[in-house]
Amino acid sequence: MNLKKKHRPGETFIQAFLYFCGIFSIFTTIGIVFEIGKEALLFFGSPGVSLWEFLTGTTWQPQVGEFGVLPLVTSTFITTFFAMLIAIPFGLAIAIYLSEYATIKVKNTIKPILEVLAGIPTVVYGYFALSFMTPILRSIFGADVVDIYNTASAGLVMGILILPLITSMSEDALSAVPRSLREAAVGLGATKLETAVKVVFPAAISGIAAAIIVGISRVVGETMIVALAAGAGPKFTFNPFEGAETMTGHIVRISGGDLSYDSIDYNSLFAIGILLFFITLGLNIISQRIVSRFREVGE
Amino acid sequence: MSKPKLKPLFIDNLKLRNANANRWKIFFQVSTYVGIIFLTLLLLNILNQTFGYVAISSKVDPDSLTKEGVSLEQLSKKELITIIQDNVSAGLLRQLQREMPLEEKSQSEVYDIVVEKVFESEVSATWTLADSLMNKVSIRAEAAEKYPKADLVFYSWVKPHLLSNPQSSNPLNAGVRTAIFGSLWIVLITVIVAFPIGVGSAIYLEEYASNTWFNRIIQTNINNLAGVPSIIYGMLGLAIFVRTLEPITSGAIFGSVDPTTANGRTILSAGLTLALLVLPLIIINAREAIKAVPDSIRQASYGVGATRWQTTWSHVIPGALRGILTGTILAISRAMGETAPLVVIGASTYIVFDPNNIFSKFTVLPIQIYQWTTRPQPEFRNLAAGAIIVLMLILLSMNAIAIYIRNKYRKY
Amino acid sequence: MSRKLQVVLAVLIGSVMVLSACAPADLPQTKEETPAAEAPVAEAPTAEAPMVEEGILPAVDPAAFSGNVVTAGSSTVFPLAEVMAERFNEEGFAGEITIDSIGSGGGFERFCKTGETDVANASRAIKNSEVENCAALGRTPIEFRVGTDAMAVVVSSENDFATDVTLDELASIWSSSTEKWSDVRPEWPNENILRFSPGTDSGTFDYFVEVVIAPMFKNAEGKADVKAGKTDILNNSNAQFSEDDNILVQGVLGSKYAIGYFGYAYFVENQGSLKALSIDGVAPTAESADDGSYALARPLFIYSDAGIIQSKPQVGAYINFFLTYVNEEISDVGYFPASNAALDVARQALADILQ
Repeated sequence: MNLKKKHRPGETFIQAFLYFCGIFSIFTTIGIVFEIGKEALLFFGSPGVSLWEFLTGTTWQPQVGEFGVLPLVTSTFITTFFAMLIAIPFGLAIAIYLSEYATIKVKNTIKPILEVLAGIPTVVYGYFALSFMTPILRSIFGADVVDIYNTASAGLVMGILILPLITSMSEDALSAVPRSLREAAVGLGATKLETAVKVVFPAAISGIAAAIIVGISRVVGETMIVALAAGAGPKFTFNPFEGAETMTGHIVRISGGDLSYDSIDYNSLFAIGILLFFITLGLNIISQRIVSRFREVGE
Repeated sequence: MSKPKLKPLFIDNLKLRNANANRWKIFFQVSTYVGIIFLTLLLLNILNQTFGYVAISSKVDPDSLTKEGVSLEQLSKKELITIIQDNVSAGLLRQLQREMPLEEKSQSEVYDIVVEKVFESEVSATWTLADSLMNKVSIRAEAAEKYPKADLVFYSWVKPHLLSNPQSSNPLNAGVRTAIFGSLWIVLITVIVAFPIGVGSAIYLEEYASNTWFNRIIQTNINNLAGVPSIIYGMLGLAIFVRTLEPITSGAIFGSVDPTTANGRTILSAGLTLALLVLPLIIINAREAIKAVPDSIRQASYGVGATRWQTTWSHVIPGALRGILTGTILAISRAMGETAPLVVIGASTYIVFDPNNIFSKFTVLPIQIYQWTTRPQPEFRNLAAGAIIVLMLILLSMNAIAIYIRNKYRKY
Repeated sequence: MSRKLQVVLAVLIGSVMVLSACAPADLPQTKEETPAAEAPVAEAPTAEAPMVEEGILPAVDPAAFSGNVVTAGSSTVFPLAEVMAERFNEEGFAGEITIDSIGSGGGFERFCKTGETDVANASRAIKNSEVENCAALGRTPIEFRVGTDAMAVVVSSENDFATDVTLDELASIWSSSTEKWSDVRPEWPNENILRFSPGTDSGTFDYFVEVVIAPMFKNAEGKADVKAGKTDILNNSNAQFSEDDNILVQGVLGSKYAIGYFGYAYFVENQGSLKALSIDGVAPTAESADDGSYALARPLFIYSDAGIIQSKPQVGAYINFFLTYVNEEISDVGYFPASNAALDVARQALADILQ
């Protein structure tokens, strides 16, 4: 009997199911692009709205027909910058420490802690930003300089928020590097640092890049922290100590009020949404380029 | 004729390299502690709000109810019933009598009703834990001066009735019962939907998919989806589950709800939305875990004649289970803490009945916390801190279970 | 390892103590707060309790009803509706009430357009366009007056220069062409005005623009131009808009030079740290809100539809209960009772439907 040709209905069914799972995410994307794109097109088709004005205008006030998205975009980037200032150096250092230096015991203590903390609701971080980070910034730089709602505070706290995420994912990537590579490096006389930084780190770079991407995307899309701590009201400013509304902050503030479904305000949110979507898409494409350029052929 | 100058000896260089290695080791170590300090500060900030002195005053002064210095506890049942009859609204009295006639209750039960319904205790002021521990004396003085009629008690906002009571406008009575049920229902739906699809998708991509353009698109797409802001999933959920699929998500076509007010703002919509949200995270983490299973194991399995699915099921999945579970824990934590998409979908602000099916309206713990944080009364922020502790305990116990499972299925 | 951990722990605890010792100073909840009982609200005559039992409306026993009551709308009305719903439950209602706090506009959206609520809470009267939407669903909104809010214009209690303003000055403070306090009144400090306003979706914002800002702008017909007023206030450089009243409270608390406005209840809750300005020399009190001498007094409403009330008796019972007992609770919430005449009109409207 030829086992290779044996009819296995179970396997076929499972394969069909797996295929469905595989393409399921495509449906999600189509849903997002279709639904959000549809509303965004309605927005751009409205009288008095132009794509150019949308992308270059510095005033966002849908109530009075001013649709320039820049104030929302700049504050999103300011908060992201501050978040990365915290998350990248600390996140990677912790990941390297956990995977290369820490004893099993320490690792088994710290990793679960980080996992639990990753689940703290972002509202809590928002409140933390407002009640803890902002007072600290105000006492360092002076209450006249730092507004009670400011993008720096929200950004720094978002950095703390994604620390467990970046650490956990990078550490997983580092741990996944085969032990033989480390042994080979140590056998050649490399110090632990050299092994970690020159051998293990490059081998895990794709996982680490993925971690950072997910981190950035998370920050760009993070809503509750900026909604609570970064201030409300779109404002075109580069000063991180002033309050300014980010893209997500604006969307949640407006949609929390349950808008009229066919108003231009409602459609304008989807225009921001699609822009947000494209920004994250752009980031991901850049990072995937980096990944493919530096990927070490391990194993 | 001298020899050409040698490079520094290996042994000299080694000192420098070792010193370097040590410096960086300290840096890595300190970073780890700094990270933990950040997170500890956050927790302490919450604890600081959860416990502390509270000045509680009553709307009705207990002393005014008693005569000739007899304390309230010593009054007879009859006298207590008179007090209740004089002080509560007719409707409430009727309801109390309906539940069980007051005359049939014991003296202590009646006394409890007096305390609960007549006094209507209110919080006049709260102090943080740090304050309460360090400035006990000045707090006492301040409370005595400003709220002479109030009782100053050391209060814990986490207490049994925080779990058993639903939302209330009085922070002393308010609890998170409804929100906990809401969270559990929603996360249940999320896991049921997202876990099989997510893991299936990861298996497909790692074990089955060949390197065609279509499969590359799927991979890129998943990475992109991981970066899509949660609020956009909220908008998607609003557009698809709440509005387009309303007949299904509201339960109207199943006839289980009142059709006039049926709407898609249900547990089902929320759970499905969060499932879409966490799906990419589960897939990415599961793929990393599956990737880490050495290829030699697959080859060995094929070598003894196993089919692809047999190899996957018997060798790849057990090897990757630890990583898959880690990823799923992170994803569930994310779903449990997610607020923004559910705000967009439309959680209820005031809801006091337990959700009893997937078509119920809902609120969840983080939204309850958010709403309490944004209330103007400062004591609701203490209550929010208490609710945060409840949420963390739930997450912690979920994680404990997951970690137990993870340790059971050790990696290669 | 454990020794290292101990060191870290010690450092950690030390830093926590330092930080937590200084942090609470900035937290509003440690600030003193006068209990609501001492608020001017409580001075209002609340002796209307013994009325109505056998008045216009039939007596209501919540326990006789079950089923669901779905309500949504104004965040200003929310605290009042919450207290009434809670009492309705407490007195035996066996069904399910939900209240969503999503703004007056959002409330009418759900009531008139998607038709998914039984009752809409609103801090402004319904607009014509919304009535038309309702008509398309076969609903005719019926208005029930439930109380009065005196919109409070507040500054931080550290603000030592502003105590009262005229309506014109108030408009000027909120105008985008004004930057500094001294631009409004020369004797006020030469400092930027920090403005905190409810978001554009709230009835409070609409009302403020209509009453305060719009009269500064005249359209072609010489009437107040609401759109121009909105443009003006939204163009402010130093303004924050939020649906979240607590953000406004925190914002105003945060600076001596900040100003904000919101429902009176939110002011009452933070009386110790905020100061309400008098408008045209009239402070917001029960009397001035009731007789209309306070310029920013506004009615609070709930809306429903005769068809809904008839087909869902629990909705009628809820509104009946609301209108019957609202004056016993409204002062505690921080709003002012509507005049008896206005409440009677509402009660009559409901009584007509219930018959």
